[in-house]
Amino acid sequence: MDKKMKKQHKKRARILTYIGITIFTFIMLIPFLFVLLLSTKNNSDIIINPLSFPDKLNLTNYINAFKTLNPLLLFKNTIVIMTVTMVIEMVITFLSSVALTRIPYKHPKLQANLYSFLLVGLAVPIYVLLFPIYRITIMLHLNGNFMSMVLPYIATSISFNTLLLTGFLRGFPTEVEEAAVIDGCSIWKVCFQVIAPIIKPVLITVFVFNVIYVWNEFPLAVTLISAHAKATISLGLSLFKSQYTIDYGGIIAGSIIIMTPQIIFFGFFQKYIVEGMTAGAVKG
Amino acid sequence: MHWFNRKRNFIAMLGPTILIYCLYIVIPLFVAVYYSLTNFKGIVTPEFIGIKNYIKMFGDRYFLVSVKNTAIVLLMSILVLLPASLILALVLNRSFKGSNVYKALNFLPNIIAPIVVGLIWGYIFDPEMGLINSALDLMGRVAWKQTWIGGLVLTPYCVGVIYSWQNVGYIATIFLAGLKTIPNELFESCQIDGANGWQTFRYITVPMLKETFAINIILIITGCFKIFELVYQLTNGSPNHMSEVMTTYMYNTTFISSRYGYGMSIAVFSCIVTMSFTLIYLFILRRKNDEAGGLK
Repeated sequence: MDKKMKKQHKKRARILTYIGITIFTFIMLIPFLFVLLLSTKNNSDIIINPLSFPDKLNLTNYINAFKTLNPLLLFKNTIVIMTVTMVIEMVITFLSSVALTRIPYKHPKLQANLYSFLLVGLAVPIYVLLFPIYRITIMLHLNGNFMSMVLPYIATSISFNTLLLTGFLRGFPTEVEEAAVIDGCSIWKVCFQVIAPIIKPVLITVFVFNVIYVWNEFPLAVTLISAHAKATISLGLSLFKSQYTIDYGGIIAGSIIIMTPQIIFFGFFQKYIVEGMTAGAVKG
Repeated sequence: MHWFNRKRNFIAMLGPTILIYCLYIVIPLFVAVYYSLTNFKGIVTPEFIGIKNYIKMFGDRYFLVSVKNTAIVLLMSILVLLPASLILALVLNRSFKGSNVYKALNFLPNIIAPIVVGLIWGYIFDPEMGLINSALDLMGRVAWKQTWIGGLVLTPYCVGVIYSWQNVGYIATIFLAGLKTIPNELFESCQIDGANGWQTFRYITVPMLKETFAINIILIITGCFKIFELVYQLTNGSPNHMSEVMTTYMYNTTFISSRYGYGMSIAVFSCIVTMSFTLIYLFILRRKNDEAGGLK
């Protein structure tokens, strides 16, 4: 009797959990659902009765958004910057983290200091750097060049990457590497063919985290990019908004076009993304 | 390992990272401090004026408004975000079927570009055609309609709500990680002692999560000082700088009004504030890791 009651109680608790979490999640998703609804309406409907359901599926807004926002160009610009950034930063921060954890130092203090020095960046908000980076870009004659975006993106990722990579590397024994060295492998071979495969999980986490960062980044883009033709997606969308304030439907459809690849990416790499976003917060 | 013990390799491996880091993080910091001590306006060469900009800042009505707004955003975020994400974490911790899907869906807002988030929420808070006011119209509660954004009062409160929406999944994940570290025996012995759910929560869960709370509060504080796109997209400070937060006011002062020197002093000031919180945070993490015997 008591057992049966307990079981019933447990079942009720589970149902309540489901109801609670479903309501919570639904509220969280309302903003997405609402803009999805708006994207199928014409401008006068959006203004006069935004909550009504349209009688038929209307894709005009999406067609307009493709014409005026030119999302393909924005995607292309962002992907070029992102690819170059990711290739360079993954290689250099991986190598420097190996150097920080595997090289025997004559002065152990130097190692600790270099490490702390590279981590200071975690505490620096990007806003204080915007104007100085803008000046440096002009000084180096990089303005208008996509490298003007790549270099600061690499720089802002160094601290985070160092934190995660060195943390992971320290936890790994060095025997395999030593064996490889005895076999006569060069230092680069050891790094890329021995160490890199071992720490693959953390490399993926770092990669995915930075892809999202570059994809979403706005403050540096709005400061450094002046030509519309070179705009990244975040910048493009904000320019689009100030240019076509009347075409609400087009802007909404545009933002959905911009969000879609990101949501798909999240679907695939969810585990690594959540890990990457929280790893920096809980590991020290 | 002897084979790494070569200066050439050492420089080849560390050089690029340190070079880019110095050029784009370290030197800019000093450049920012330098400009904050000048009256540079972009045309004539900067003139050194000492800490005059910093003194001016505290007499600048708009700057004080932006500080007040940042504080409101922060307060709202702590009041809404902290309890909401703790509740979410407690529910997700029950590991039921499909809990991963719910976790992912609640985390989703965190990976959407903040500029898109600002745009979406513009359609929710817009006083004329936004979701909230239209819904109130439909329900016949016209008196409840507010100028959610773009008015004189409510914008920072709304920004706090949006920030909470963005981060609830993220903060909950950190709470969840903290909950996993509480040993099960504690809950079991509580049950044996006949403690009810609330008592267990009050006397076991909360005290055991003390450090997780501290970490999350500091993450929220530093996060709120970094909010930029939301305000830029929703109101960009209008009307007349009344909805400005520190980041947007700094941005508008520097790049729109071209008062570079003054803008940089605001930037340096907020940088110092965030940096101090981050240092406290790193200190807590370090102590936590030392206790756990983990990495330093």
